[in-house]
Amino acid sequence: MRERITFIQKLGDSLEPSALTVDSRSGTINGPEIRAVREDRLTLAHPELPHELQTLTAGARDLHIRWVSTDAYGVVSPLLARLPPGFHLFYAPARAGADDLSSNELCLALGDIFGGISCTSLTESFTSLGDDSFQYYQGLDSLSQFIRYAKHRLCSPTDTSCSTRLDALSGAGSLDISWEAARNLLQITALWPYERQQIHATAQPPRRTEVGILSTDKPKTLEAHEIGISGLLTVLGQDSKPSPTMFTFPSRHRDAESAFSAGFLNPTGLHPTLQLRLTSTHPPPFSPSGDNNDDNDYTTAACHPYAYLTLPRGIFADKYQLSDPLFLASKNLSTLRHTTQPVDLEGPEYVLPQWGSAILLQLADPSLVPSLSSGSEWTAEIPLHLRYLAPSAGAGGYSAVSMPYPAVFWACEPGEDERESAAEKFPPMNPFEKTHLGYDELFAAGTVFWHVEPQPAVTASSPSLVNEVRVPVLDLDRAEWVGAGTTAAVVIGFAWVVWRLAGVWKSGGGNVVGETREAKQKKTQ
Amino acid sequence: MANPTKQARRPLSSPTTSHQPSLLSSFFSRPTPVYASAALLRLVFFLYGLWQDANSPVKYTDIDYLVFTDAARFVSRGQSPYERETYRYTPILAWLLLPTAFTTGLPFVDAALFSSGKVLFAISDLVAGWLLERVLAKSMERSRARKFAAIWLLNPMVATISTRGSSEGVLGVLVMALLSSVLSKRVTLAGLLLGFSVHFKIYPFIYAPAIIWWMDADRMSSKKNTPPKLQASSIPDKVFAFITPARVQLALTSFITFFGLNFAMYFTYGFPFLQHTYLHHVTRIDHRHNFSPYNTHLYLASSPSTSNSTLSSSLPGSGGGIESLAFLPQLVLACVLIPLGLAKRDLPTAMLAQTFAFVTFNKVCTSQYFLWYMVLLPLYLPHSSFLRNKIHGITALGLWVASQGLWLQQGYELEFLGKSSFLPGLWLASLGFFLVNCWILGTIIGDSCNVKGG
Repeated sequence: MRERITFIQKLGDSLEPSALTVDSRSGTINGPEIRAVREDRLTLAHPELPHELQTLTAGARDLHIRWVSTDAYGVVSPLLARLPPGFHLFYAPARAGADDLSSNELCLALGDIFGGISCTSLTESFTSLGDDSFQYYQGLDSLSQFIRYAKHRLCSPTDTSCSTRLDALSGAGSLDISWEAARNLLQITALWPYERQQIHATAQPPRRTEVGILSTDKPKTLEAHEIGISGLLTVLGQDSKPSPTMFTFPSRHRDAESAFSAGFLNPTGLHPTLQLRLTSTHPPPFSPSGDNNDDNDYTTAACHPYAYLTLPRGIFADKYQLSDPLFLASKNLSTLRHTTQPVDLEGPEYVLPQWGSAILLQLADPSLVPSLSSGSEWTAEIPLHLRYLAPSAGAGGYSAVSMPYPAVFWACEPGEDERESAAEKFPPMNPFEKTHLGYDELFAAGTVFWHVEPQPAVTASSPSLVNEVRVPVLDLDRAEWVGAGTTAAVVIGFAWVVWRLAGVWKSGGGNVVGETREAKQKKTQ
Repeated sequence: MANPTKQARRPLSSPTTSHQPSLLSSFFSRPTPVYASAALLRLVFFLYGLWQDANSPVKYTDIDYLVFTDAARFVSRGQSPYERETYRYTPILAWLLLPTAFTTGLPFVDAALFSSGKVLFAISDLVAGWLLERVLAKSMERSRARKFAAIWLLNPMVATISTRGSSEGVLGVLVMALLSSVLSKRVTLAGLLLGFSVHFKIYPFIYAPAIIWWMDADRMSSKKNTPPKLQASSIPDKVFAFITPARVQLALTSFITFFGLNFAMYFTYGFPFLQHTYLHHVTRIDHRHNFSPYNTHLYLASSPSTSNSTLSSSLPGSGGGIESLAFLPQLVLACVLIPLGLAKRDLPTAMLAQTFAFVTFNKVCTSQYFLWYMVLLPLYLPHSSFLRNKIHGITALGLWVASQGLWLQQGYELEFLGKSSFLPGLWLASLGFFLVNCWILGTIIGDSCNVKGG
């Protein structure tokens, strides 16, 4: 079992080694309060896992649980990879094909661990990501059930530091639990947003704990696809003083140095439009020096802005509507790059078993749209559709669908001929790498993602990165007369028509009516 | 298209035109102005549509047309048309639209090829109009017949629907061809058309009982002046008298056509053909708001909160409520009572009333279904009390438009403003529209008392 605690400050903020107090006997480190992102990572080998986690991971080749807070939070390079807020599950069963039994167990266990996870099995609830891997998403506001569960299972009743650390997860920005059978390792990674953090950690033998107090750096030798980190590393209970370090590594997740907000345009109706407002029309600084010179492989031509949406099943995008170039252009969209398949275009929400759908939309390149390139802010509109939700009582005929913010980023994809060399540039493991995000596998290997920071709308009352759309539904409080009223109307209508038919029948028996009868009728009228 | 001697003849006997030989009457006296205008109308709409599609993000072309053409593209690659989601039609439609899948690399030619389906639908409109005129001309002056056919031919709504690429016009021509062949007693042709139409869109099966009932021995006998046969008295005799060669011939040809086509399609495309063309209509839970009186109730009945088990909620009509009996009034009227009461008096009006009843009492009803009866309307109007009694007619039209408008207004509030107008607004509006339709249907039925045997 290994633990890694990392504080990362922004470029230019760094801490003198003298500011830290390291005690190798008690295995503690203390320091001042700094503004930083904190990441805690616990790595467990398979035999170290608690029993129920062993059974869960036994059925999985790959299992990535990613929870993202619904509250906006700031991050620092290189911990930039973003996903829509909520509970994400990327799962590849150990045996090929849909394994419903083990996925059903997985769903039950996840329900216990996280609370309110309502998936059932692969074929019913999941969407396919290809390659025998599957995706599930659900909105999940907090980790409170996870914290309760973990405290109950992992902390002894007297161990207050264990429960204090778990309680701290309530302020986390994200939590990742990743299992890869090939490595036989489970990694639990929690991330706390960029804010004031007190430097303090205590070793928990026999676990090896390493603490890094780092900041982003830009050494002169830095290549375009790399980022630099420098700072102080300490292995608790082993080192008596922090040792300075400085390293560079290629990173696929970069900071676009801009932000966006998302909100529904009013009125939403049954076809709400999600508007993305991006703060900058300028592409990210693709090269460290700011100009795209020769040794920079990423030309702006191969870089485009994208939005990756996870749409709970109450709301969906129509891929056919999103196929007309003129229509897309009018919304500042470019192409629908990907959608999970199939998406039912008609069914009501309450008969669909799947979690929903995910789409990857390429946005218009603001530099190519004359009306956009001049201004500083630009918008893109994503047309969506609501399903019918179940009738409800006590809410005046309305329900709601919560939709998480999309992940918005610029992706620089290597061209066909440079794919191999680009892929080689990004060895699978860097110390802060994140893969299996749902969208990264939709791009060629070697693609670099420049993340645009999600921010709550200026008008929003809460820091939430979830938009709610009000959905009109049938009001059960008023539905008392629907059955009787409909029956009555149909009976009246039917009776009237039958009565008129009876009149016809009487006037001529419904049989051949000759000229004479016709004439006779004319006379009687 | 028309007999040249008839073209020259002045429509003296036409009551509305006999007094003043105006520009209007000369317009209808020859076929060319009417059909040229009908074609021109469609051409203008068609060209406007091309312009709008090329220049506006809001498309003129119907979404269904994109479904058809996508399906045709799959077929052109040797795949199944059911690869296209929401393609719920016979593969024949995709085959008919195969030219839309061809590309030459020349933008102008490609655009023309892509639009060829719309041309086909628009031509179907014109042929349906011409058949209308032909059927009408059996009982009236050619120019008067043309005037009534113009209600269809020069109707902007009809022209819009076909040039937007909706296939309903094909149904129009099929149903008119069916009626026309029945009236000219071409039984085999009628059987082929009936079988094909039912394969194409299911609902024309309602015409089978009316046509069968109409085709009695007296009517089908070739000799005009033979005295009527002795009335069969006992029940077996009546049954035997009912089974005439013409009826057997119609039944056989239509059955063979229908099942032959279905077998052919099933063997070509397998289960998806059955699933999407037919079974979908049985299992669909498509209660997005529509004009049907059952709509609100179906929404209520399908929801998990009102049904006992989740299983029953996935199948409409299994809840045991009125929704499971909804097909009864519809089929009793459209397939039994109206054919028995009206078919022998006036087959066209019987078919109109059947279609009207089928659409009005259907569990799903959208405005494209109105086209199904609109094609038959010109056949009924000449002896309609709606035309004889202007106030009656204007009231009926006014109520039909107003009750539909009310529903549309409620639907707009729901669909675009997000207002929960299901109850009571949309529900009452759909019931109101339903009752207005029933009243109109009753009047159409009552009017058949004024018709000589048909």
